[in-house]
Amino acid sequence: MQALTWKDKLAGRVSEPLGREIDIFETEIGLRKQGKMEEKLFAETRLRRGVYGQRYDNGQRHDGIASQTLSYPSGELTKGPMTLWDAPGMQRIKIPYGVLTADQMEVLAEVAEEYSDAILHVTTRQDLQLHFVHVEDTPDIMRRLAAVGITTREACGNTVRNVTACPYAGVCGDESFDTTPYAQALTYFLLGHQDAQDFGRKFKIALSGCRQHACALVNMHDLGVIACRRPVPGNSDGREERGFEVYVGGGLGSVPHQAKLLLEFVPEGELLPTAQAVARVFARLGEKKNRQRARLKFLIARLGVEEFKRLVIEERARLPLDRRWTAFLPEGEGDLAGVDRPRKPGAPLGPGARPEGFEAWHKTNVRPQKQPGYAVVTVRLPLGDLTSRQMRGLANLARRFTGDTLTRPLGVAEAGAEAPRGPYGSVRATVEQNIALRWVPEAELPALYQELVALGLGMAGAGTIADITACPGTDTCKLGISSSRGLGAELSHHLAAREHDAAVAGLHIKMSGCFNACGQHHIADIGFLGVSRNVGGRRVPHFQLVVGGQWTENAGSYGLAVGAIPSKRIPEVVDRVTGLYTRERLAGESFQAFIRRIGKAALRTLVEDLLEVPPYEQDPGFYSDWGDPREYTIGDLGVGECAGEVVSPVHFGLAASEREAFEALLHLDQGRPEEAARLAYTAMLTAARTLVRLQYLDVSEEPDEIANEFRTRLVDTRLFADPYAGDKFAQYFLRVHSRSAAGGGGGGEMTAERAHRRIEEAQLFIEAAHACYDRMTQTRGA
Amino acid sequence: MEAYRLGVKVFVEPPAASGALRSEEFIPVFHRWIQNRRLAETLIDVADYGHVHQGPGVVLIGHAANYALDFDEGLPGLLYVRKRPAEGAFAERLAETFRAALHAARLLEEEPGLAGKLRFGAARIRFRIHDRLLAPNGSATLAAVRPALEAIGARVHGGAAVTLHPLFEDPRALFTVDVVGPGALDVATAEARLGGGT
Repeated sequence: MQALTWKDKLAGRVSEPLGREIDIFETEIGLRKQGKMEEKLFAETRLRRGVYGQRYDNGQRHDGIASQTLSYPSGELTKGPMTLWDAPGMQRIKIPYGVLTADQMEVLAEVAEEYSDAILHVTTRQDLQLHFVHVEDTPDIMRRLAAVGITTREACGNTVRNVTACPYAGVCGDESFDTTPYAQALTYFLLGHQDAQDFGRKFKIALSGCRQHACALVNMHDLGVIACRRPVPGNSDGREERGFEVYVGGGLGSVPHQAKLLLEFVPEGELLPTAQAVARVFARLGEKKNRQRARLKFLIARLGVEEFKRLVIEERARLPLDRRWTAFLPEGEGDLAGVDRPRKPGAPLGPGARPEGFEAWHKTNVRPQKQPGYAVVTVRLPLGDLTSRQMRGLANLARRFTGDTLTRPLGVAEAGAEAPRGPYGSVRATVEQNIALRWVPEAELPALYQELVALGLGMAGAGTIADITACPGTDTCKLGISSSRGLGAELSHHLAAREHDAAVAGLHIKMSGCFNACGQHHIADIGFLGVSRNVGGRRVPHFQLVVGGQWTENAGSYGLAVGAIPSKRIPEVVDRVTGLYTRERLAGESFQAFIRRIGKAALRTLVEDLLEVPPYEQDPGFYSDWGDPREYTIGDLGVGECAGEVVSPVHFGLAASEREAFEALLHLDQGRPEEAARLAYTAMLTAARTLVRLQYLDVSEEPDEIANEFRTRLVDTRLFADPYAGDKFAQYFLRVHSRSAAGGGGGGEMTAERAHRRIEEAQLFIEAAHACYDRMTQTRGA
Repeated sequence: MEAYRLGVKVFVEPPAASGALRSEEFIPVFHRWIQNRRLAETLIDVADYGHVHQGPGVVLIGHAANYALDFDEGLPGLLYVRKRPAEGAFAERLAETFRAALHAARLLEEEPGLAGKLRFGAARIRFRIHDRLLAPNGSATLAAVRPALEAIGARVHGGAAVTLHPLFEDPRALFTVDVVGPGALDVATAEARLGGGT
């Protein structure tokens, strides 16, 4: 007898179109196993369903002594280029605007327990992720999620990713209006939309209810909108209409771009067609071949925002009418406010005894809603993780304290489906990798706190310096360079054990394991970017210290790196930086203003002695990463004379290039963008020449010769190519050089923004030079 | 019973069980197991969840199974969970699951850095099925697995009868049963009785 399957069991509970999609994917899994589906095609189809690869999925892992081949039953069968079939992977689960119901939380807990390792990870874009999942288990995961209204479709790939929004939408006193219905409408409208299927790269959307807060991070999104109101045109009766400021072309990644204002006011009924028009222009004109230049930000940089705006308006005028543009809006002049409504009566927090620890928790983890008698509780998750048992416990608490008893989900977002109107689940994932419980009657906060403590989720300090955001880094990500989670755990522990004044306690620390910036380090007060350095022939994990970023005002500005610090010194660096801020800040001075005032040179001086790495023989601890005792070095690099002779001048040259990049930073700070850009270019030249000299000692200092030799010896030979980013970083240098050789800085005035970007490119080029040198020395040592 | 996602947890005994155990001590141990190929299966990586309250602690990720120094419900223990299909009838797969968990627990006891500090007990062994489709947490599943569980329990306990204590309080939880023997039992003896050892 055939065993019962989830497909059988859930028949009738998964919508027909979605069920068919999952069946197709299951068939494709079978075809790929039989070799009847090309691996690249299969890779794209699984990515579009959120089924990612994970670290070591090429079947090689360095165990701290040597690189070992991982042996799998399916042998060389792959699920994508250099991705073995049996290697465990990651399942990303889209949670639009982070909204969850209690029953969805229970199913998420179940699938984590059965197919993963009983851990659910909240991402910086309000997704959830399961790690160490086998590809053959993913169809059943998808079915079980679909049965409670969750789809993984377009969680990855060159698609519209999870639509994010402020987790306090609808309950925040500072918002213009609740953006949730609009986020929902956008999600439904764009999922599987034919105009959003031909992008060269991913496309991220965020909605914010206000300008000033950070909750939705509009400025770092491809398409970001901020809710606003204006007087109804032509009326003098004081009536207002709802709409959005529309921003485009933001993004972090290796070279971050701030979004540009596209349209000052788009009426609510125009939001969806405007998004559609942006998608069409991006699909038509965006880069398709070179994925490193394929995000919308590059198209806008190339065209200029005014030309892009003209194209979008033109495209909008051509769009055929679609009733879904406005179907989600109320008839007439009704309001969507109140669609999300309380299910229990509100009540103020009364006097009386409080449980131990309640006051500290209340101070940092509770914020009043605009609806009297209710509060939002932020459940702080260490590194965004919680167990299946905790997730089930939170589902119970959502039911008990917020009255979340939605048993039927809002329907699964399907291509062509209309978005239903609320009500919504009372739980939301946040971009700070926490979970927010909304609509909690204030009178019940002490009881809720006690229940959270019992679940191990009663930690105070949400949104404080100890509440650290970190991407997966080397723990599970294929691209990770340093252990962002290891450092995050260490720093969180380190900072929690210290007293901080209110200004320091309010700082944000974020870290990314590589330049892709998933940990959003650019927008932290104190950010860290994982890099590596070669010291005496061994690799040492480092983090670039990034300061000057702004978390508030929807990610108002991006920071720049001031120096690479050995990973094991980071806690001390944080102590020094926060200590200096505590001692020397002016009354009311923000951290960003403080950094601007003292200057990055002073900051660099503050940590200068911490940049040094002791020799391996003296302290081998520096040569492994946080939470990972394996020696960080990849391959057994010799420390013989030959390597020593090579190492010395290269280190000297790359250090010089770093100095020049840092000086560029100082010029930028001092309002000299032209000089900053020139020095950033010089830094790239120095780094390039340093590498060229490994093969050609007599290369001159003539920029053209350096560039030509660099191209011939390092780019054409693929020596400089990053295993994942390819020639991206080399092109930063060659592009700037060609502009300089042509006698210009790339056309137009050198603005601070362009200089900022040039410095970012120089810093990344230098990091790539370090990595290239490491690869070259490994090859020699092998 | 078709389910193959079987889990067995062998609990740490006092005094280590009462809060003295630090999960980070197991990270280098599991890394060494990968380096030294301590277990006869494909081991991939070590995942550290020490920051999570009563979580899976430190997980040695394998292809076919995971091994964790698990802290679920505040009860530290070695948890083995089979992830990929296994050969044989249910009773054979069950025996292999018990043997693998006991074997790993014994190896941990013998680790130089942990020797003397860490002891596991086999008097009570927790059995789980990580498959709600084929094994919902209730009496029907218990009835289906009872004969095989009692048989394996008796083997572990040298022929003595065991008692099954189901944990049915929460029907949403994984099917869970504690297999309890008549007296104290160390993991080396239990493993040897299942044909394991060395």
